[in-house]
Amino acid sequence: MNLYEYEAKRIFEAGGIPVPPAVRITKPEELAKVHFGYPLTLKCQVMSGGRGKAGGIKFAKDLEEGKALAKDLLQLVIKGSKTESLLVEPMVSIAKELYLAVTLDRERGCPIFIASAEGGIEIESSHNVLTEPIPFPYHPYVGRNLAAKLGLKGAVMAKVADLANKLYKVFESKDLDLAEINPLVITKGDDVLALDGKIIINDDSIGRQPAFKGWMEAHLVDMSPRERRAKMTDLNLVELDGNIGILCNGAGLTMATMDMVKAFGGQPGNFLDAGGGSDQKKTLAALELVNENPAVDVILLNILGGITACDEVAGALVEFMKKYPERQMVVRLRGNNQDVAEKMLAASGLKLYPDLEEAVKEAVSRSKNATKKPALAAKA
Amino acid sequence: MILVDKHTKVVVQGATGKMGAAHTKRMLDYGTNIVAGVTPGKGGEKIHNVPVFDTVMEAVKTTGATCSVIFVPPYLALDAGYEALDAGISLLVLITEGIPPQDTAKLAAAVKAKGAKLIGPNCPGIITPGQSLIGILPGSIFKSGPVGMVSKSGTLTYEIALALTESGYGQSTCVGTGGDPIKGLDYQEVLSMFEHDPATEVIVMIGEIGGNAEEEAAAFIKKNVKKPVIGYIAGQTAPPGKRMGHAGAIISGGKGTAESKLEAFKANGVRVAMTPGEVAKQVAEAIKQPAKA
Repeated sequence: MNLYEYEAKRIFEAGGIPVPPAVRITKPEELAKVHFGYPLTLKCQVMSGGRGKAGGIKFAKDLEEGKALAKDLLQLVIKGSKTESLLVEPMVSIAKELYLAVTLDRERGCPIFIASAEGGIEIESSHNVLTEPIPFPYHPYVGRNLAAKLGLKGAVMAKVADLANKLYKVFESKDLDLAEINPLVITKGDDVLALDGKIIINDDSIGRQPAFKGWMEAHLVDMSPRERRAKMTDLNLVELDGNIGILCNGAGLTMATMDMVKAFGGQPGNFLDAGGGSDQKKTLAALELVNENPAVDVILLNILGGITACDEVAGALVEFMKKYPERQMVVRLRGNNQDVAEKMLAASGLKLYPDLEEAVKEAVSRSKNATKKPALAAKA
Repeated sequence: MILVDKHTKVVVQGATGKMGAAHTKRMLDYGTNIVAGVTPGKGGEKIHNVPVFDTVMEAVKTTGATCSVIFVPPYLALDAGYEALDAGISLLVLITEGIPPQDTAKLAAAVKAKGAKLIGPNCPGIITPGQSLIGILPGSIFKSGPVGMVSKSGTLTYEIALALTESGYGQSTCVGTGGDPIKGLDYQEVLSMFEHDPATEVIVMIGEIGGNAEEEAAAFIKKNVKKPVIGYIAGQTAPPGKRMGHAGAIISGGKGTAESKLEAFKANGVRVAMTPGEVAKQVAEAIKQPAKA
């Protein structure tokens, strides 16, 4: 889950990391409550990157100019991401900008510091980047080593080392995938300040982070409404632009099925991994999600039951077909309790395909013959 | 066969939970040498006739178990893993999905420090057909034979194993390493074991988009593996930036694409199968012509 800058900074501040004073506004008039004087920085709160280049950061010399800018900025959409609010901060006198982040490195299998003496840049395109593996258990010398390697000296070195240690503590205690400060500013008065921040919270950890309880729905802004609903019901849905709705159990098998549809000349309308062990209720919810996509002409259901019981899937299918008798379905169902499932489905007249390749070819062929019609309504 | 056989003594952590109990039964039915279950507070009870202990330490002391299969909920997995390691377990099979990756990183570091091995998390487990099934794989689709399999995926492994079995090619051992970005055993370690395993003639490696483990494994194969390796990558048509079910299956910043992995396979002498069905055909050819392609 990605957080907005203002949320990230509140978390940094609570972790003892210095941030500029700030006010968040959602209406231009609210600028009147700013207590730190002008000139000001106004920053769009959006999930997308490249905010500065897209005109999402402006400077105001007085209240009048601020209000006019705020009015425009609040309506700005950056790379499809709507401005949620504005973060208003005083302008800072900058002596030097650094980059500092903590993330998990999947290749090394451990957390790492990523740091650069060139801040305010796109870290992916910078050549001057340090990566430092973080050992368990953590000790503060790791932060000192990092600050020293960045070429810092004296009081600034000690301040950056302390900040790095605090950043790791935040990363660990809040279960983050990323804690990034860019730029980390050294002011003309030799203070260190997190001028911009980004936090990604690990989705699997939210259940043990009471502070983030209930945040998920408001932060899934880069997903379609169906993808959002899937996420909230623990299904993995990715919408694609074809007309074959794919529903499988397990990520690898779902990807493989999607690839095969494409390889045999069809167009996947979505990727839906219902996960292992889905029961009748969850399978039905998954079928409904695929069915609701108006572009889908054929549903291809491919279940290889390991921990998923075929009879649970069959139960969902029987219920679904009663509700949507017109829906084109190609079903491949194998594994655990397959015989029970076959008996349950025998009356429905639904043909089962034991072979995956045959099922995919049938779905592709039906998708080409499908006549375009409006989304199928449920039978009354 | 590698890692497990019929003598491997297995303790089940979380044996009395819904999933743990169901799979304890299935593993016992398969013939796995399950010697103990562990659930704190239920010591002295039995589950499917297997004695339950309060701690792994007691279970190991009493039964001599060397392998633990872990079914505990995600936020308890790190503690369960540490407990198994401290009790002297040398092979941890962590089935649980949804473990915070920072916990996995901590556990993996501890496993390494102890010289033990971790399979998973978020994995189906491991099977040496006819001998031992440790995890949640459906035993009936596997058959003993010459193909060693290593895979990030569960159900896709079953799909390919089923095709292999139906074509008459059984498996020496199948290892599901799991779909998380941070994990225990990686391809290299398993490939190396298969290379030295007399029962394995051909190796099947099933990968997916995300990360660069497949690229690194391909380079490793060129240097260290003489047996034929067949590679398959799921997610060839996945859009960038979207997490495809597994936490680790994502193309980000142009990295982790199927093309890059398939290129690496081809450049390093790995035989590429483009569909799951093609894997069995490639295995048949490799067994006829074991020299590297």
